[in-house]
Amino acid sequence: MGKVILEVNHLSTKYITRFGEGVYAVNDVSFKVEEGRSLGIAGESGCGKSTLALSLMGYYFAPLHYIKGDIIIDGSNISNRHPDDVRKNVLGNEIAYIPQAAMNALNPTQRIIRFIEDVIRAHNPKATKGDIYDLARERFEILNLPADTLQKHAVELSGGMKQRTVIAVSTILSPKILIADEPSSALDVTSQKMVIKMIHDLMELGYIKSMIFITHELPLLYNVTDDIMVMYAGQIVERGSADQMIFDPLHPYSKGLMGSIIVPEDGTRDVKLTAIPGTPPNLKKPPDGCRFAPRCKYVKPQCKTASVPFEELCDGRGSRCIIPETELREAYRNEQ
Amino acid sequence: MKGYRKYFTKKIVWFLITLVAAVILNFVLPRMMPGDPVAIIVGRVAAGVNDSSSTQAIYESYQRDFGLDKPVIQQFFIYVKNLFQGNFGKSFSRYPTPVSDIIKSALPWTIGLQFPAIITGWILGNILGALAAYIRKGFDKVLMPVTLFLGGFPAFGMAVILLSVFAINLGMLPVQGGYPAGMIPSFSWTFFTGIIKHYHLPFWSIVLISIGGQSLGMRSMSIYELNADYVKYSRYMGIKDRKIVGYVFRNAMLPQITGLALSIGTMIGGALVAEIIFSYPGLGTTLLRGIRESDYPLIGASTLIITIMVLVTVFLLDIIYGLIDPRVKAAQYE
Repeated sequence: MGKVILEVNHLSTKYITRFGEGVYAVNDVSFKVEEGRSLGIAGESGCGKSTLALSLMGYYFAPLHYIKGDIIIDGSNISNRHPDDVRKNVLGNEIAYIPQAAMNALNPTQRIIRFIEDVIRAHNPKATKGDIYDLARERFEILNLPADTLQKHAVELSGGMKQRTVIAVSTILSPKILIADEPSSALDVTSQKMVIKMIHDLMELGYIKSMIFITHELPLLYNVTDDIMVMYAGQIVERGSADQMIFDPLHPYSKGLMGSIIVPEDGTRDVKLTAIPGTPPNLKKPPDGCRFAPRCKYVKPQCKTASVPFEELCDGRGSRCIIPETELREAYRNEQ
Repeated sequence: MKGYRKYFTKKIVWFLITLVAAVILNFVLPRMMPGDPVAIIVGRVAAGVNDSSSTQAIYESYQRDFGLDKPVIQQFFIYVKNLFQGNFGKSFSRYPTPVSDIIKSALPWTIGLQFPAIITGWILGNILGALAAYIRKGFDKVLMPVTLFLGGFPAFGMAVILLSVFAINLGMLPVQGGYPAGMIPSFSWTFFTGIIKHYHLPFWSIVLISIGGQSLGMRSMSIYELNADYVKYSRYMGIKDRKIVGYVFRNAMLPQITGLALSIGTMIGGALVAEIIFSYPGLGTTLLRGIRESDYPLIGASTLIITIMVLVTVFLLDIIYGLIDPRVKAAQYE
C-alpha cells in the first residue's frame, strides 16, 4: 500500500439557498487516495460529484458551507485551518482544481501569462516576472503547449487549447493532488484524448502525485482511473477498482448505472441496456434509511428505516447496502 | 496591430459619414423653422422708416449680406466653405458680431463644466455600482433605491431642486451665472473663487444624474461578472478576493464604456438644460438665446459644435474600447 496523499473522513457540506434552506449535497463522505493512483467519481447529475470536488478544496464561500469532517492532505489536516492560510498555502500548492466549465474559466480580458503571474504571486508575493515566465514557458513546452499561448487572451484559443491551458495553469505549482471536474465533457474525442494524455503526463512527470477525476461518462473513467467511486444523493454508495466497478458492480445503484451504459468490450452488442426508474431524491430533505431505496429493485422493508452504513468488503471494495453480498449476487444471477 | 488599423479606419469612415449628415441637418433644420429673421432685423432697424420701398431696400441689402438671395444649394456650399475657415457667419440678433466670437466665449464654459461633471458622475457611479454588487446586503439596499431615484430625474428637475434648496432656501451658493455678477473676467484669486462657487450647483446637478444611471448598469454588470466561472476558478487557485474584484471591475467596465458612448448625447443634452437653468454662460444658454431670437447662424453653429463634441467623444470612446477589450481586437482578425 502506497503513501496516502489524500484522506477524507466523514466530510459533510451543504448549500444554503437564498431562502435559508440547507441542501445537503455531500453527506458523510470518507475515502483515501494513495500516491500515484487516480480515483474516478461517477454518478448522475445532481448527485453531489461537483460539490464533493469543491468541498475537498477546504476553502468555502457562499452558498457552499462546511459542516463537519476532516480533509488530510499528505498528513496535514486542512479542514481546521484559517481560510486565508488555506488560500495561500493549500490551494494550488497542495490541491488544485480544474473546473467543469473550463471554457469560461479564464478571464477573457487577461493574457494567460498575467493570470499565471497572479496565481504564483498569490502564493509567493516575491516571485519575479522573469522567473514566472521561465517556469510557465518550461511547463507549457513539456506539456506540448505552444509557448506563445502565454501571450494570448483566452478568446484567441480553441476549446481544447483552453482546457489544456487551464490544466497547465492549475498544476503550475505542482500540487500533490489534482481534482478534475469533468475536464473533457465539453470536448470532441480528439481533444478529450489530448486532455487525458496531458493529465497522465502530469502524473508520470511527477508534477502531480494523485488525481481525482469526476465524470458522468463511465467508459471514460474505466480508461482513465485506477479506482472508481459511485455517488448517489450526496453519499458514496460503492467504491472499488475500475475493473470491479465496471464488470462486477455490487450495489444495486452501481449495477443499475453500469447497466445503463455501453462498455466497449467484447460482447457489448449482446447486452441489453436498462434504465433506473424514478428520479434522485430531493437533497433538501433526503429520505430516511437508504437513499436509493425508493428506486431500488431489491428493496426490503428495513431499507426504508434502518440507517445504512458504508461497509468495507474484501478486495479493498466497499458498499453501502444492508442486503448481504451473497444475496445480491444471487438476485443478479437470477436476472440473467 | 493590422486588425486594429482596420478597426480604426472603419471607425474614422463612420465618424466622417455622421459628420457630413450632421452638417447637412444643421444647415437644413434651422431654415425649416417658422418666422423670417431678416424681417425681424429689418423691423428693428427700420423702425422709423415709413417708406415701403426703402424698407424693401434695407430688407434686400440684409438678404445679400446674409447670402439669403442665392439659391439654397449655393447657400449650402458657401456654408460648407465658410465652415472650413471657421466662419459661421454673423449673428442675426447681435449683428454684426461674428458667431464664431460668441461660440468662442461660450465653449470653454461648456467644456469646463460638462466633461468633468459627466466623467466624475460616470466614475463615481461605476464605483458605487461595483461596491453595491460586491458588498450587497445593507449597502445595496440603500444605494439601489437612491440611484433609481437619482437616475430617474430629468436634468432640469435636478437642477431646479438643487437651485431652490442650496441657492434660494439655504443661500449657500449663488443662484445663477458662471462668475460673480458685475466682475470682469480676469486671472485674479477672487474671480477664481467666484467661478468655483458658481460651478458647484450646475456641476453637481449633472454629476448626480450621471451617478444614478451609471451605477445601476454597473451593479448588474458586476453581479453578472462576479458569478462568472473565471471568478470561481481564480478563487480556487488561491487568488486574493481583492485581485479578483479588480478583474470583475475591469470586465464590468467594458460595457459601461459603450453605455457612456451611447448616452453621451443625452447626457450633454441634459447638461445643456442645466446650463440654461443656472444661466451658465455656456453653449446651452447661447443656444436658447439663438432659438428665441431666430438667430439661424448662432443656432446652426451651436448645434454643430455640440454635435461635433458628441461625435468626437463617441469616436474616442470607440477607439479606447478597441484598445482595452481584447475580444474586439480578436474579432478584427476574422
